[in-house]
Amino acid sequence: MKFLIVDDSTVIRNIHKNLLKEKKFSEEGILEADNGATALELAVLNDIDLFLVDWNMPGINGLDFVKKIRGMAKYAETPIIMVTSEAAKYMVVEAIEAGVTNYIVKPIHGNVLWEKISKYIKQ
Amino acid sequence: MKAEYINPFLDASIHLFKTHLMYSIKNKPPFVNQDNQNLHEVSAIIGLAGDIIGAVVLSFTRETAIAMAERFSGQKYLAMTKEVLDAVGELVNIIAGNAKKDLAEFRIEISLPGVITGNKYRINWPQGVPVITIPFESDAGDFTVNVSFKEPKKR
Repeated sequence: MKFLIVDDSTVIRNIHKNLLKEKKFSEEGILEADNGATALELAVLNDIDLFLVDWNMPGINGLDFVKKIRGMAKYAETPIIMVTSEAAKYMVVEAIEAGVTNYIVKPIHGNVLWEKISKYIKQ
Repeated sequence: MKAEYINPFLDASIHLFKTHLMYSIKNKPPFVNQDNQNLHEVSAIIGLAGDIIGAVVLSFTRETAIAMAERFSGQKYLAMTKEVLDAVGELVNIIAGNAKKDLAEFRIEISLPGVITGNKYRINWPQGVPVITIPFESDAGDFTVNVSFKEPKKR
């Protein structure tokens, strides 16, 4: 199982990473990027099973990243979970239309995040 | 500035600090900050653009910033590290992003957060626009949420 965490906040990436490690996923399978451009490179070079993506990032933002990922045949069905502070309804709609699988508004506790993402994880 | 524009920031702050981080907090009534400068040593700032133009600033003492960053991240910090600054930036990002839910009639873009530290600094708030300060008391220390934006035109 390979994850890609995309968030410009180191603290948020660590929170997500620690949650996955607690759930016994190997650290080698948890990739991270602090911006959309690096994330795209990682997505091209690897086969990601699940994306956790923030919206507001420098350069390519989360929404544009999702659109680009959905344009790649190998990621047509891959779960993309957007985890963002952006709570406006119109943004949720925009993200879903861009191909996001689930939309989670920060702040969120680890156990609730896990509840929401675990259904997309192939154990 | 109308309460309907300030309440979303107040509610988002209460949700973050009380419901999520589980601090015991109490807010005092918001007031128009005449000198605009009663800021603590650590301030996280985020810009608002689109239908609403302005800024939101979350301001703490160093001790409160470190305590809140620890609670938020689940890590221990002994000083104002990069991670503490990152966490404080994320807190103001969450307040601004969450407040947008209750400002549904407007299209608002939020900038990436920035964090300022030091004993003497000034924020160049938008000219001619009042700064509304919401003071909070918490068991991690006092802090303020400061909001300044031009009265928006409804769509």
